Amino acid sequence: MNNNLKLFWHNIKKEKLLSVSNLLVMTSTFLLLGVFINIVVFSQTALKYLENQAQITIFFKDEFTEEKIKTYQSELQNDPRIMDVSYVSKEDALRIFREMNKDEPILLENISASVLPASLEVKTKDITQLKNISEEFIQKEGVEDVQFFEDVIQRFSVWSRTVYIIGFILVLVFLIVSYSVVVSTIRTSINNRGEELSIMKLVGASDEYVKKPFIYQGVFFGVLSSFIASIIVFLLDLTADKLKIFSDGLSLGFIPGFFISPLIFSLILCFVLILSGFLLGLLGSTTAIKKYLQS
Amino acid sequence: MSQIEFINITKQYGNFKALDNISFTINNGEFIFLVGPSGAGKSTIIKLLIREELSDAGEILFNGKNIREFTQKEMPDLRRKIGVVFQDFKLLNSKNVFENVSIALEVVNSSETEIKSIVPNVLNLVGLTDKILSFPKQLSGGERQRLCIARALAHEPDVLIADEATGNIDPDASQEILDLLGKINSLGTTVIMATHDERMVDQMKKRVLRLDKGSIISDKKGGKYRE
Repeated sequence: MNNNLKLFWHNIKKEKLLSVSNLLVMTSTFLLLGVFINIVVFSQTALKYLENQAQITIFFKDEFTEEKIKTYQSELQNDPRIMDVSYVSKEDALRIFREMNKDEPILLENISASVLPASLEVKTKDITQLKNISEEFIQKEGVEDVQFFEDVIQRFSVWSRTVYIIGFILVLVFLIVSYSVVVSTIRTSINNRGEELSIMKLVGASDEYVKKPFIYQGVFFGVLSSFIASIIVFLLDLTADKLKIFSDGLSLGFIPGFFISPLIFSLILCFVLILSGFLLGLLGSTTAIKKYLQS
Repeated sequence: MSQIEFINITKQYGNFKALDNISFTINNGEFIFLVGPSGAGKSTIIKLLIREELSDAGEILFNGKNIREFTQKEMPDLRRKIGVVFQDFKLLNSKNVFENVSIALEVVNSSETEIKSIVPNVLNLVGLTDKILSFPKQLSGGERQRLCIARALAHEPDVLIADEATGNIDPDASQEILDLLGKINSLGTTVIMATHDERMVDQMKKRVLRLDKGSIISDKKGGKYRE
């Protein structure tokens, strides 16, 4: 075995307790990192789902003719703020009503298409436009009522943004914690072997020779802990996938309109976690040993 | 060309002048004693020579190259050409005799075959073949110092420095060390020995560089501890 690898393995064996506790702390950190990234993406997906469902329903008075309603529909279709407009006739409304209340035949007996209003269902590109369009239409001729679930969407939007911000801050904090754990573990290893290292330097060891075992150690802990965390995160995502919670795919908040399969997202997340583990291990151990060599 | 040249070297620690504008040369294959009271500047000369520290003024040339110009990458090469034996041994107590010597070869990525051939040879030279599996704590002071010499010799250095190498061992063991250094010198290695041992210096009749308060007060071939 290469001398550097032998020294690296010797370090791990010599400091078993430190190695195990280091591995536990780093695995927990990467696991929390993975779980929080998942929570952020799940909440973004839920928000996107709600946003896509969000619509204004414009109900028209009975005397307002289908022809006039369709004029409004054409106007809305040409409006750049609008994503989709569909006309729901009195008959359509009855069909929907029957479908929704198929288990209550008594209620259905007394209902006919004439008592249900025709309506336009409007979806906007941006949910912040819902209110403006609603206010514009409430004053228009023939409009009986305008309904939309403003509060629910806005509350969820605030909650989702809060999760996004807190998640982002926590991710940064966890990365800093992981980095500090690597640096302090390597420093402890260096201190434990201080005499041996100074003797090695005195008998002609190059900086490179002294450095390598510690860099291997940092990378080993970073990759192993992030790999263990990735397996757990993947199993959690696999469970979520089997429950078909996000059957339409996951939305990445920073790429509008982009949906990705939960399992592919999970694999990418695992890759990112392992890459982060590798980079943190490399950076942390390089910093620790560099400081020792400079001193 | 001299192997080692100290040219107008000054080294100061705060207000204390450890070396004050000293100059001397050492030729290839010489045996030279550095003598003088504590604080005379003997250890400072050694620290400057292995570039553990840098001088405040002047130049030190090793085989014609200014030691200050050795890059960080070239430093291990300098340390392999100049072997050092310390008064406090600097041995690894967790490693046996064989491993304490082989570490000097491992750090330069020598192959296992090279290590298995060189280590027994140098241990034979210093007379520690029968202690090859012993640990430093199982050795006497003289044996530990011989082990240090074996480790320093593993790289076949051009220069061997013994910094108060007999300071911690009894007179009989000191004599063995001195004989060993003489033997190494006769094989062509330059030996620089810093010591307080008057008997040893007078017995060897080699070049003696006497220092006091950071200055050279005499430099004589076949000299004595006291003039």
